[in-house]
Amino acid sequence: MTTAARRQAPIYTGTRIPSPIPSVLRVDPALREDDDILEVNFGPNHPSTHGVLRLIVELNGERVEGVEAVIGYLHTGFEKNMEQKTWWKAITYPERIDYLSFQINELAFVLAIEKLLGVEPPPKATWMRMLLSELSRIHSHLIWLGTGALELGAISLLWYCFRERDAVLDLFELVTGVRMHTRYFQAGGLAEDIPPGFFMECRKFADMFPGRVDEYEALLDRQAIWLERTKGIGLLSAEDAIALGQSGPVLRASGVDWDLRRVQPYLAYDQVDFDVPVYFNGDVYDRYKVRMDEMRESTRIVQQCLDGMPEGPWILDDRKIVLPPRHELHTSMESLIHHFKLVTEGYRVPAGEVYVALESARGELGCYVVSDGGSKPWRVKFRAPSFVALEATATTVAGSLVADLIAILGSLDTVMGDCDR
Amino acid sequence: MNFADLPGFASTTEERGETTVVVETARLRDAAEFLRDQRGFNFLSDIAAADYLGWNERTVAGYWGHRGGRDINRPGSWGLAKKPEPKAKRFSVSYHLIAVVSGARGAPRVRLQIWCDDGEPVPSVVSVWPTADWHEREAYDLMGIEFDGHPNLTRILMDDDWEGHPLRKDYPIGGEPVRFSGAE
Amino acid sequence: MADVGRKKRLADYGLHSERTLMRKKGPGVFEHELGDLESKLGLTTVEKAVAWAQGHSIWPDTFGLACCAMEMIAIVGSRYDVARFGAEVFRSSPRQADLMIVSGRVSHKMAAPLRQIYDQMLEPKWVIAMGACASSGGMFSNYAVLQGVDKVVPVDVHVPGCPPRPEALLEGIVRLQEKILAGVPPAYEIRGVAQ
Repeated sequence: MTTAARRQAPIYTGTRIPSPIPSVLRVDPALREDDDILEVNFGPNHPSTHGVLRLIVELNGERVEGVEAVIGYLHTGFEKNMEQKTWWKAITYPERIDYLSFQINELAFVLAIEKLLGVEPPPKATWMRMLLSELSRIHSHLIWLGTGALELGAISLLWYCFRERDAVLDLFELVTGVRMHTRYFQAGGLAEDIPPGFFMECRKFADMFPGRVDEYEALLDRQAIWLERTKGIGLLSAEDAIALGQSGPVLRASGVDWDLRRVQPYLAYDQVDFDVPVYFNGDVYDRYKVRMDEMRESTRIVQQCLDGMPEGPWILDDRKIVLPPRHELHTSMESLIHHFKLVTEGYRVPAGEVYVALESARGELGCYVVSDGGSKPWRVKFRAPSFVALEATATTVAGSLVADLIAILGSLDTVMGDCDR
Repeated sequence: MNFADLPGFASTTEERGETTVVVETARLRDAAEFLRDQRGFNFLSDIAAADYLGWNERTVAGYWGHRGGRDINRPGSWGLAKKPEPKAKRFSVSYHLIAVVSGARGAPRVRLQIWCDDGEPVPSVVSVWPTADWHEREAYDLMGIEFDGHPNLTRILMDDDWEGHPLRKDYPIGGEPVRFSGAE
Repeated sequence: MADVGRKKRLADYGLHSERTLMRKKGPGVFEHELGDLESKLGLTTVEKAVAWAQGHSIWPDTFGLACCAMEMIAIVGSRYDVARFGAEVFRSSPRQADLMIVSGRVSHKMAAPLRQIYDQMLEPKWVIAMGACASSGGMFSNYAVLQGVDKVVPVDVHVPGCPPRPEALLEGIVRLQEKILAGVPPAYEIRGVAQ
C-alpha cells in the first residue's frame, strides 16, 4: 500500500554512485586546485554520528565535496566468539550486535538454528516472537527519532521518545526480567512462559502509543525548520538504492515496495494485517515518514498478536534440543540424561548452511550459519543492514552542506554495533 | 529455477528451501553478470566467506539434535561418530542474491558460491553490484581472501596495521587468560 | 534589664531606648535573627567547599560506544533524571567535561581515540567504566576487545551490568559523588596514569 502520491518522474536520472570506489566521494580534481578544500575529521567520538563512526569529510566552505567513512571502531569479533561457544550460549551474542532492535537479531540466529534443525516452534512461541519483534522495532524507531530530532535541533523530542521507550522496556522487563538484551528466545520456542500480567500491560501500551506518534507528528510534520532541513536532502533513487544493497526504510522511501515481512513472510506475518509504507521522494523527510508510519503499523501488529495469541506450550517438547522441565528430573532417568547432555555438551545441529533473512528496523538482517554437525557453530555471519547503509553515505551526501550531512546520517539510521559487529 | 546455463557452472544443491549454485572461481564475474542481467538478481544482500580448515578432522558423535540424524530403523545409528564430508578447497565465498521487484509477493533467492584456496584471487563483483565494495573488503580483512579488480582493497574493520586475518581458523581467539574460566 | 551599678544610665543623658519608651515591646526580628547566628553560619574548609561544588556538578562527556550508551541516554530522560545530581549537561567537547562514562565495549581500534579524549579532558577528571565490557571486556574475551578500559585510563568507579540499568548507573554516579565529597582524589592520582 502506498501512502504518498506516486511521483511521476524518477528522483534523479542516471546514477550518483561515485566511481571508481562506490563508497568514497572524491573531490573533483579541478576544484582541488582552485578552491580551498578543508579536510575535517568527524571523529569516532562525535555526538551526532550515532556511535563510533569516523567520517573524513572534505569541505569547500560549507559544501561537502568528499567523504569517506572509516568504520571498525566497535569491531567486537562476534562471529569468532560465537564459534567458540555452544549453540545455546551463542544465542546470547547476536543481541548485542544491533543494540536498538536487539530481539530481532537474536531471532535471526534462533531461526537459523531452527532451520538447520528442521523444527517448527509451537504457535504461541511464534506469535510471541512476532509481538516482541514489533516492540523491538518500535523501540528502535523511538530511539532513532529521539536522537535524530535532537541532532536537527528538535531537542524536546528526545524526552518524549525516551519516555515511550521506557514504557516499551517496562514491557520487556515484565516478560523477560531485563530491560535490554533479553535473551528470551531459545531454539524451539521461548525460554519461559509469558507472565499473566503482560497482556494487559501490553494492551495498555498499544492503546496509548498511536496517540503519542500523533503527537510527534504534530510537532514535526509541518514544522518549517524540520521541512527545510529534511525535504530534498539526501536523495537516493530506487535504482541506486538497489545497486547499493539498501533495504528497509531507506529502500521504501525511495519508492521500492519491498518488505521482507510481506514478500517472504516468516513467523506468522502472513496471518496479520498490516500495511507497508512506501514513499517516493527518496529524501530524509520520506525516510522519516516511513519510520513514523512503521511505528503505527507495528502497533497494529502488536494489537493483532494480543488478540490472536494462541494457547499452548511455549517451547517444543523435543528433549534432544530443549531442557526437560525440572520436576521431571526427580523421576525420569531419561530426562536426567537429556538435561545432563544438553547442559554440558549442548544440542547438536545437523551439518549444512542456511541463510535466514529478517526485516529488522534497519533493513534486511541476514544470518548465515554453517554447521558441521557438532555442538558449536562452524561459521556465523551476520548481514548487517547498517554496514550496507553506510556504503550509501557517499551517494546521498554528494553536494550537500555540512548540516545536511548530519541529517542524512540520521536518516540512514545506522547503529555502529550492527555495522562493525 | 534452472541454473545449468550459468557461465562456469559447477553444481547446484537445494536443501532446506535454499538453492546453492557453485561456479568456477575464474568465471565468477561472468556468472554474476548473467544472474543480474538475464535472471534479474539485482540485489546483492551479503558476501559471506567461510574457512573450512580443520573441517574434516574431528568426528561428531551421533547425538543428533533432530529426527534427520536418527534413523529409527537403524538402531545405534545415532551413536556412531561420523566425520562431515571433506571440502575440496579451504575457503568458500557465498554471494546471497535476491531478485528485487517493487511490489512483488515473492523473494527469489539464490546463493552463488565459489571455492578457493589460500592465496587464490577471486574476481571482484564491484562492477556488477556496487554494494560488494565493503563486503569484499570485510572478507579480505577478516579472512584474507584477495579480490581481483577491487578498487580499494584495504582493511575495514581491523586497524590498518593489523597483522593476520582474525576470522581464519588458525588465528587464535585472543583475549586474556582468566583464572577459573572454563574451556570456553 | 541588667543592673549596671551606680553608673549613669542612658536615661540620665536624655536617651531612651525602645524598651523604655514601649515597655510592652519584645525583641525585634533582627534580634531574633542575630540570636541564632551561629547556627546559620557554615564553617568549612576550602577543600570541602570545592569538593561539594565539584561533586554536585559533574558534567559527563558524550562517550557512548555501544549498548550501554542507550541506558546512559536513558538517565537523561525524565524517568531516571540525572539532573537531580547535577550531571545532566552532557558536553560533547572533552575540554568542557569532567567525567568520562565509558559506556560500551572498547575495541583496540578505539583505544587510541579513547586515550586521546581522556588526555584532552582537564583535571580534575573522573572515569566511570560502565558495564561489563568497559570494566573487564565482558563476554567478549577475544582479539578485538580491550579487556577492560582500565588498561588505558585509570577508572574511579566500575558499574557492573550488561547493560547496567539506569538506576545502576545513577548509583555509580552517586558513589562517585560520595568519593569526591569524602575527599578521595581522582584515580589518576592514586593509580597513576596508565602509560
